[in-house]
Amino acid sequence: MANRALIGREFPAVTATIDPESVKAFARALGETDPLYLDDAAAASGPFGAIVAPPTYPIAFMAQSMAGAASSFDELGLNFMTLVHGEQEFEYERPVKAGETLTLTARIHDVYEKEGRSGILDILVLETEASDQNGKRVFASRQTLVSRR
Amino acid sequence: MLQFDELKEGDALPVHQRGPITKAEIAEYSRASGDPNPMHVDEEFAKASGYPGVFAQGMLSMGYLGQYVTGLAGIGNVKLLQSRFAKITWPDELITCRAKVTGKRVAGGEKLVDLELTTESQTGEVKIVGKATVRAA
Repeated sequence: MANRALIGREFPAVTATIDPESVKAFARALGETDPLYLDDAAAASGPFGAIVAPPTYPIAFMAQSMAGAASSFDELGLNFMTLVHGEQEFEYERPVKAGETLTLTARIHDVYEKEGRSGILDILVLETEASDQNGKRVFASRQTLVSRR
Repeated sequence: MLQFDELKEGDALPVHQRGPITKAEIAEYSRASGDPNPMHVDEEFAKASGYPGVFAQGMLSMGYLGQYVTGLAGIGNVKLLQSRFAKITWPDELITCRAKVTGKRVAGGEKLVDLELTTESQTGEVKIVGKATVRAA
């Protein structure tokens, strides 16, 4: 049941410290070769002063900020077993840097239902804002999750 | 970096190809992205759930699109990256990433290029439809 009363619900802010080895493992998993993603020395003397993460890396640490959303999944009656990532959008001010600590605030942007080919689909749109230790925005994420009822 | 003055609406940029996608690659990506979903690594689980076998997460292909767009524009010049996950990407598929210029503009003192993105398999099945906005020179 699409519980539209949950729209606007915010989850407690969480922090994530970006681990360099985790960034490098993610870059390697994508077959990246740029030294800014992989080489400490090259990255330190590069334009960002640190290892930076490939653009989709935030997905690897955003799960923490959405842990608070898990109870909302229950309230929304979402079928966790059939939850599918429908869409993902990132807006960036700059790349995420290894070693920095980000503050992540997630909120429910939208909840609705849609008629699908094999029944009703429940749609949940989650937005996350990430800011750095100076309070400056680093990136924003909008994630659409789809659940078959 | 993309050269603002050399681009016009409708231009197709050089493509980026990945694959054949392997189960090992999908598993490595699952570990690196902290994805616990067994559909991507547990063959029996995927079959019991009605699929022919394990499959790649949409985010793996979005990672390829991120790689593609960053390769075109340069690290630090991607302002927006968006993907809609239309079809599943399977092991053994070859993935071609394509970008087409949908517009260019100057905003906030920056030269920006808007791109429409797709990933498709060797049969032409479109897996992801997306867009990006990058800073150009």
